Amino acid sequence: MGRFPGKIYPIHPSLSEIMGFEAYPSVKVVPGEIDLAIIAVRSSLVPALLVECADKAVKGVVLITAGFKESEDKAGAKLQDEAAAVANRSNIKIIGPNTFGFVNLHANLNASFTPEFSLTPNGGISLVSQSGGFCHLMAPLAMEEHVGMSKIIGIGNRCNVDFADILEYLADDPDTRVIMIYVEGIDNARRLLEVARGVTKKKPIVGFKAGRFSSGDKAAYSHTGSLAGKYELYTAAFKQAGILVAQSSTELMDIAKALALCPLPKGNRVAVLSGQAGPGMIMSDICEENGLVLADFSPQTARHLDRLLAPLAMRSNPVDMGPAWYDNQTIKKVIDLTLMDENIDAVLLYAAYASANRFLLNEINSLLKSPTYGKPIVSCFPSPTGIWADEKEELLQSGVVLYPTPERAAKAMVALVKRAHRQAEEHTA
Amino acid sequence: VAAQTGHKEKSSVTKQSILDKARREGRTQLTEVESKELLKQAGISAIDTRLATSREEAISISRKLGFPIALKIASPDILHKSDAGGVKLGLRTANQVGKAYDEVIQTIGQKYPQARLHGVAVQTMARPGVEVIMGMYMDAQFGPALMFGLGGILVEILKDVSFRIVPLAKRDAAEMVREIKGYPLLEGYRGRQPVDVSYLEDMLLKLSDFVQANPEVKELDLNPVFAYSDGALVVDARVILDEGE
Repeated sequence: MGRFPGKIYPIHPSLSEIMGFEAYPSVKVVPGEIDLAIIAVRSSLVPALLVECADKAVKGVVLITAGFKESEDKAGAKLQDEAAAVANRSNIKIIGPNTFGFVNLHANLNASFTPEFSLTPNGGISLVSQSGGFCHLMAPLAMEEHVGMSKIIGIGNRCNVDFADILEYLADDPDTRVIMIYVEGIDNARRLLEVARGVTKKKPIVGFKAGRFSSGDKAAYSHTGSLAGKYELYTAAFKQAGILVAQSSTELMDIAKALALCPLPKGNRVAVLSGQAGPGMIMSDICEENGLVLADFSPQTARHLDRLLAPLAMRSNPVDMGPAWYDNQTIKKVIDLTLMDENIDAVLLYAAYASANRFLLNEINSLLKSPTYGKPIVSCFPSPTGIWADEKEELLQSGVVLYPTPERAAKAMVALVKRAHRQAEEHTA
Repeated sequence: VAAQTGHKEKSSVTKQSILDKARREGRTQLTEVESKELLKQAGISAIDTRLATSREEAISISRKLGFPIALKIASPDILHKSDAGGVKLGLRTANQVGKAYDEVIQTIGQKYPQARLHGVAVQTMARPGVEVIMGMYMDAQFGPALMFGLGGILVEILKDVSFRIVPLAKRDAAEMVREIKGYPLLEGYRGRQPVDVSYLEDMLLKLSDFVQANPEVKELDLNPVFAYSDGALVVDARVILDEGE
C-alpha cells in the first residue's frame, strides 16, 4: 500500500533488496536512526535480536513472532521473560509478541502482517484488541460500513505494554475520538479499571469482553464466590470505569461509530420519526426499555405537525410519517421542526426506500447540511443494494450516523445518551 | 429496626479479639455470632444474636432478647444449618426454647458426631421483609468484588445478582441495586410497601469500607438480609478469613 512517508529498512541475512528497498544484513549496519522495529523472525532468535535493537537505540518494537507465553511449550514463557528483561533494561516498548501488529491510519503506518488494513477509512476510532483475530474482524467491518478508524492495535501477549499503557497513550492522541477495547482476560485487570476511569473522563471507551460463560470460582466457599463469573466482574468493572459495555462485535462498532460522529445529546428526550409505524415501534421499545424518554413535543411543534400531517397516523412522539411518505418536503419539515424543538435532545430517524420517495435522502441532505442543530441524528434508511449509496455517504459527512436496522440505530442512540449522562455526572461530581 | 438490632451496651468483644480467637483455633470461618459482631462494628445492622452453651443460657438470653426466638446450631462444620436439622424458628416461651435447645443438640450429635459444636446461636425472630443477599468475593484479577441480589431460592436458581469491584462509589451502589431483574420487587408491587433502597445502597457502601479496612477477610455472605420500608437487617452472615501467615 506503500504510503508510509518515512524510511523503511528491510533486514535480511542474504538479500540485498526487498520490494525495491535496499536491505541490510543486520540492524547494526542500518545507516539511520530507527524509531520502530517490526520483528518477524522465529522466537528463539528474538532475545538476541532485541539486544541488537537496544544497541541501535531502537525506541519501539512490534514483535509479531508467536511461540512465547501463549504456547503450551514451557520454553515459550521463559523466552518471553528473557525478551521482556532485555526490553525493560533498554527502555524499549514492545507491542506483542504474538500479535498481528498495529496500523496507524493517520500516519500511513502499517506495522502489521496485513498490508490491506491500510485501506480502512481514516477516522476517529481506535481499537485495542487482545486478539489479532478480532482486529481481522473489525477492520473489514469498518471498511464495509465506511467507519473511519485511527489506530488498530493487537496487543498480543503484552510483554511490557498492556491495555492500560495503550489507553493512556490514546487518551492524549489527537487523532483518536473514541476507543474500542476487546478483552479476553488479563492479569492486572485492576490497573485497567483505574486507568480507564481517568481516560473515560476525556474520551469514550466502548468495551467488549469475550468469554461470557466461564463459570465462577468452584473453590469458593460462598454464594458470592460461586456466582462471580469473570464476565460479570468485567462488565461491572467496565461500568465503574465509565466504559460503555458492548455485547457483540457489531454493537462495539455501532456504539463507537455513533460516538465518533455525533454530538452528544443534552438529555434523554428522544424523538422517533418513522416513515412506517412498525420500525418506529421497534425503536421506541428499545428507547423506553433503556430509560430514554419519548418526550412530548412543545405545543408549537405539535401544532405544526398537526397541520403538516394528515390525521391518519400518530402525530405525537413516535411520529408515524406514513401519510407523508411520498412527500419529501413535508418529511423535511417534520425533521426540521423536531430538531428545533427545545423539548427534544436527539432524533431517531427511519425511512425505507420506495420508488416514489427516490429523492428523499437528497432532501434530507439539503436540510442537514445547512443549519447545525447540535443534536445527534441516528438513522436507518433501508434501500435496495446500490440505491441511495451516494446519498448515505453524504449524510455521513453531515454527521448523521446510519445503521442497517432500526434496532441497531436505537441501541446506538441509547449509548449516546448513556455517555452524555455519565459526562454530566462527572461534571457535577 | 433500631429496636431489633438493639445492642446499646458497648460490646466487650473487639474485632481483634474475634480474629485472634479464630486464628488461635485454626479457623478461617467465623461463626455466625462472630460474623454479625464484626458487621455491627462496621455500622451494618444485624439481628441480635448471642451464643448459648447450655439450655439455661439459651433461656436466659431469650428472655433478655424477647420472644419469639430462633435457635441455630453453631458449628464451623455445619454449613447448611436448616438442612441438618439445626434450626428452630418461632419459639414463643422459655419452655419451647429449652426443649428446642435439647433437640438441636441431640439431632446434630446423632447426625454429625464428628462436628465441633460451639453451642447454639440464639436470636430474635426478624419480622419478615424482602429477602436480599449481599456478599464479597476475592477475585484473582480484580481483588475484592461485592455482590447484591435477591435472596432465598431466587439467588440459587435465577442467579439474579449484580457485582461491583471494591471500592464502590455512590453511583456504583445505586446502579448495582437497580441492575438486578428483580428490582421491581424492591420498589413494592401489588400494594406492598416499597423497600428503603437508599438504606440498602448505604449498606453496600459500608460493606465496601469494611472490606477495604479488613484485607484479611476473604469472603462474605450476608444471606439473607431482610429489607424493610424503614431499613434492613442482616439475618444470617458468614465471614471467611484468608489463610493468614
